Amino acid sequence: MGADFKAEVFQNEYLADGATDVHAVVSVACSGAGKAGVSGDAAEIIIVDTSGSMDMPPTKIAAARRAAKVAIGEIVDGAWFAVISGHSMAQMVYPPHPGMAKMTGVTRAEAMVAVDRLRSGGATAIGSWITAATELFAQVQAAQRHAILLTDGKIEGEPPGTLQQALTVARGQFQCDCRGIGQDWVVDELRAISTALMGTVDIVAKPEDLEADFEAMMQQAMSRGVPDARLRVWAPQGSQVLFVRQVAPTVEDLSKRSVQTAPLVREFPTGAWSDESRDYHVAVRVPVAPVGNERLAARVELVVNDEVRAKALVKAVWSTDADLTTRIDPAVAHYTGQAKLADTIQKGLAAKASGDDRTATVLLGEAAKLAHETGNENTTRLLEKVVDVVDADTGTVRLKQHVEKADEMALDTRSTKTTRIRREP
Amino acid sequence: MTDTAATCPQCGEAIVPGDAFCESCGIGLTADGALPPPVAAQEREESFPVPKTTLSQAPGIADVCSDCGAEVLDDGFCSQCGKKAPSPRDHWQEAPVAWIGGVCDKGIVHARNEDAMALAGLPDRSLAVLVVCDGVTTAPESDRAALAAAREACATLVGTPVPQVDGVAATVSYWNGPLMRAGADGNAAAIGVARSLGNPAEPPSCTFIAAVLHHDVVVVGWCGDSRAYWLPDDAEPAQLMIDHSLGTELIQSGMSQAEAEADPTFHTITSWLGADSVDATPDINSRQLHEPGWLLLCSDGLWNYASPATAMQALVHDQVAAGRRTPVEIADGLVRWANEQGGHDNITAVLARFEPSLR
Repeated sequence: MGADFKAEVFQNEYLADGATDVHAVVSVACSGAGKAGVSGDAAEIIIVDTSGSMDMPPTKIAAARRAAKVAIGEIVDGAWFAVISGHSMAQMVYPPHPGMAKMTGVTRAEAMVAVDRLRSGGATAIGSWITAATELFAQVQAAQRHAILLTDGKIEGEPPGTLQQALTVARGQFQCDCRGIGQDWVVDELRAISTALMGTVDIVAKPEDLEADFEAMMQQAMSRGVPDARLRVWAPQGSQVLFVRQVAPTVEDLSKRSVQTAPLVREFPTGAWSDESRDYHVAVRVPVAPVGNERLAARVELVVNDEVRAKALVKAVWSTDADLTTRIDPAVAHYTGQAKLADTIQKGLAAKASGDDRTATVLLGEAAKLAHETGNENTTRLLEKVVDVVDADTGTVRLKQHVEKADEMALDTRSTKTTRIRREP
Repeated sequence: MTDTAATCPQCGEAIVPGDAFCESCGIGLTADGALPPPVAAQEREESFPVPKTTLSQAPGIADVCSDCGAEVLDDGFCSQCGKKAPSPRDHWQEAPVAWIGGVCDKGIVHARNEDAMALAGLPDRSLAVLVVCDGVTTAPESDRAALAAAREACATLVGTPVPQVDGVAATVSYWNGPLMRAGADGNAAAIGVARSLGNPAEPPSCTFIAAVLHHDVVVVGWCGDSRAYWLPDDAEPAQLMIDHSLGTELIQSGMSQAEAEADPTFHTITSWLGADSVDATPDINSRQLHEPGWLLLCSDGLWNYASPATAMQALVHDQVAAGRRTPVEIADGLVRWANEQGGHDNITAVLARFEPSLR
């Protein structure tokens, strides 16, 4: 019973004499994941920003109510759930007392009514909301714990550092998808949360789009029938794991999340899985071996509850045949480009924000070139709202005079979305 | 269903039903393509019983890393250093009787082991049969041809009735025929591999050298540049054959040994077994032995690093001085030494011990 995982390696295992760095893309696919929460071991918390600004315009708080109700509608019967209203502090919306409720026909109806009573007022103190969610999740036994956080503003109502402290405690306790509504929130703040809590971050520029987004997010969460999995990476004695990076569907550096579990083994949490596939770029620096030697550079395993469900071998073979050693695997090349694209966009936008138009022009030009080369049409489209692309082949761009802030934020949040490489037949 | 659907129970490669062994990994097979029971059923009801160690008794994959000594996992790689554990075809040893043994090894640079060996002998030290074949790297699948040829040639010699001959001349004369037949049968086996591959334009091929040590007489038959040396403990050593190679022709045309060995055509062989061989008739040479010593057959993966008989003798003596006693131990030492020199080619070393006092 249970989900079926498959792992596949894409790499050029041939290294030139004296070479040490092995790069591989490990593609992990999950099927038969089933549904979350069927046995009551899923827990969902919806955190809705109800600070004063949500009333400006009032369509925002109205959209938030509708979206929260749609999300409640998607949570399966038997799952634990709660709704939190976030302002200067975190306040229980449903259940009325601090705790979580079991989803039934009755609690669902009660929660909808409670959400309808949401009113706005007060400041934005996201750190305290995260802490409140962490405490609620701690009260229930649930294998899968997931939250949706909606905000429209930047943190103002709590001392600096509160969010970081809250994330340190929350890390590993639940996954959190973050959504920013409007254009007054800060991409870096929400990205810090989504990165620490293994979720997604995106902008919802128009309030009317919020409902569909919440519905999709909660549906996705409910389809994650594998509550938790880890990527276990063994690398040989004397080697150094340079990085382990998720490269599809989005770029996420997992290196910082890793835990050493045995002398040569590190584990990287991947969160919950639905029927989906994710690609990981693994880079290992191995000790040199003589030409003709074949060695393992990494064993990459997908582990659920300490049970290996899929395994891929990353190899290194030293050769003097330049035809073999100079080839770069297409998947590795593609995702190296996509990761660089995301990094270049984020740095370019940071330069632009700090008023360094010169650097911003160079970096965003480079990004336009990379997006063009790697066929990332979505990113090209987002870039074109921020820069005028004069020549994509050379990466020549001009910063637009008037840019919608929301377009810039969309480019920033979505810069990590990658295109898949076309598999060779 | 066609015959080609049969697969080797050890390595999974296609096999031809009825073959005595898998052409890919070399494991012994029964007529119905299964693994044979070890030893007893394999003894031939021919002229003499040969307790022959074959690949079927070699371990599948080593459970301890040859480099660092750590455990090898199910995936075939070391749990600590990641080194790939060699497959049985890449490295194996044979010791049919205590006084005969050999090691066949992939070396370091080559991707696969195209050398092969086949050994047999009698426990009473009256007869040894040693065969070494070295597959031609430029012809694909030559590893299979080499193993097939070595096994077949050895089987031919083992199947020859042991004569009650008296005297050196009679012994040499007697073994001349079986050695020629062994070469012909080895050639037929190599051609059979080519046929099983659909007769490729570049058919798999290999060198051939076989030695019969019968009491105090050694008779050698060969095609190509795999060598036989007589290496006495305390007397002048000798190379027992002359390479069939362009190198030999260079030397015969007046070049010095050193000059010839530096020539890029030195290793190009002029006689071999295989479908494209123009002359697969072995040359025959013989010698009577007087002193205690070692009969050594080897591929060029070893003699490249110690070509003169005196150098090879010194090398074997170094192994003995280092405490290696049995033929397999000495062969293993020679293979390790060749790998330390770079392991640029596959390495095979097989030895038989000659003790005149025991005859």
